Amino acid sequence: MPLEVLFGLLLLIAFLAFVACFFEDAESDTGSQSNPNSQVQLAAQVGYVHRFFNKAISGEPLSNCMYSTTACTVAWVLLRQFEPMFPAGEQWKAAILAIPLGVLAGEILHLIFATTAHLGRTAGQSRFQQPLYLDVFYGHLIPIITHGFMTTFCITCIAYLQANLGTLSGIPELNHPFPLPLLGFIWGITVGSIGSSTGDIHYGTEREFQDRPFGEGKRVVYHGMITRYADCGIRTQKDIVGFCIKYGCPLTGMTFGMIILFENWRTVLGMLGGGYLTTNLTVNSAAGAAAAAIGIAIGLIIGIALIFGNLYLVRWARKRYGPFVGE
Amino acid sequence: MDPIAALLILVCVIVGGLLASLGVHMIPVGGAPAAMGTATGIATGTVQLMFGAALTGLFTASTVATFFETPSPLALVLVALSGAVGAMLMLSFTMLFANMLYVFGAGVVPVSGRVEVDPITKEPQTPYKTPQTDGHGVPNVSYISGWIGAFLGGFGGALMYFVLKNYAFPASLFAELGAADAEMVSAAAAGIAAAGIFVANAILSAYNIGGTIEGFHDPKFKRLPKALISCAVVSALCGLCIIIATWGLSGGGGV
Repeated sequence: MPLEVLFGLLLLIAFLAFVACFFEDAESDTGSQSNPNSQVQLAAQVGYVHRFFNKAISGEPLSNCMYSTTACTVAWVLLRQFEPMFPAGEQWKAAILAIPLGVLAGEILHLIFATTAHLGRTAGQSRFQQPLYLDVFYGHLIPIITHGFMTTFCITCIAYLQANLGTLSGIPELNHPFPLPLLGFIWGITVGSIGSSTGDIHYGTEREFQDRPFGEGKRVVYHGMITRYADCGIRTQKDIVGFCIKYGCPLTGMTFGMIILFENWRTVLGMLGGGYLTTNLTVNSAAGAAAAAIGIAIGLIIGIALIFGNLYLVRWARKRYGPFVGE
Repeated sequence: MDPIAALLILVCVIVGGLLASLGVHMIPVGGAPAAMGTATGIATGTVQLMFGAALTGLFTASTVATFFETPSPLALVLVALSGAVGAMLMLSFTMLFANMLYVFGAGVVPVSGRVEVDPITKEPQTPYKTPQTDGHGVPNVSYISGWIGAFLGGFGGALMYFVLKNYAFPASLFAELGAADAEMVSAAAAGIAAAGIFVANAILSAYNIGGTIEGFHDPKFKRLPKALISCAVVSALCGLCIIIATWGLSGGGGV
């Protein structure tokens, strides 16, 4: 029975990872957090006054790491206080209160940084006649915080599940050796770096330059000349997130979900194949070595398959789209 | 402190730092221009991407490290390889899905801006490139370069973690906290120290790259020796700091 519970928990973690990275990308689109914000920053300087939210607190990995680590640290401290109040075997009930409170603490930081970043950056552009639109400022804060809350909440839940994986699945030896705040740190950095590398492309290459020709990289001469008009009225980040959520966000969520899924899957398959989970679960170096070796072999097979996947994708794109035509 | 353990810490930290630097030079990073399809590579900063990959590897490596009762050369290799594969998988998925966004979300063909023909697949690049850009997407040569780079970086990070966990911050050092907490503090201290040394080396290498690099076929890759020398010096200093810290934590005597 514990094995079924273990696999169920691993699938839950992968699902939470999907949701976390989905909302991470949506949050970065809502607040214009990462690399494409260089164009929002540049727009006013080339005479393109706009109504975009200009929030680049730092790179996405570092800012998400800050919220997640803060949330996990507060949750961890609260868990240590609350857990002794419950009888043995029911300590998980403490998490129901501790995790949301921890995430709230992380998101208060997010709110403060979103405010200071937008006001500071926009005020710094006053010499280029870029106004500070208060309706844009107020109207975006709640979407930013709610999207950020979902990301941080999911990351904190992932960290909590991984730190207590063994206890929850009835195999105590499988608890991750890292404490909750360090797991929050790791996944905060990772979710940010995936959201930044994958999701930004849909916002930066497509949505930010939608009045430029489709199907080509955006030329240097276009930089700063962002699309400022929406389907109806003047464009703000709310129009952008509604577009990116149809393709960029799901694909970004899928990236993190797949990484977590296959990382956990290969490790647990290695444990099963190497006999590590069946040797009364005491630390057994021989079975452990076999488990690690099988996990590594599975990982290498997946990695090589991904290389062929990319070869196929690039070949397909070259054949389907053909050489560059135009000026 | 045991001099052999101290020497092992120093050597492994230097090797880990050098591998981190080599890995950073091999992953295709396009920075902010890549997010607009104006440069080849992944659309984020060098340090952040490599750090994210290495931490994913570190997560699996730390799990695998619990499989072994006592440290051994086999355990060291397996833990380091687990970290390497974890980092490689993270970057492979990221590069593949980024390419899916370029191809299906922006209609862009992944091409290199630095070479006319892909050195591995021999596919011509220039006819597919948008004028006034430095390439776009992650072409096959960059993908394979990134695959190897993440593998090496992850190997270095996990190698440092294993050595620090077992020789610099063993659980016996924190025995007064109780068995469970001592084990957790030991793993956390080793993880934070390994991540810290890794990121120091990654930042130094990022300065050497100067924003964007496509992989081992990029002319900027030739700057690698300078970065390796700097990273060896920085890693050695970090290793010495750790040895002093461990020596101090153990009361100035043996561990």
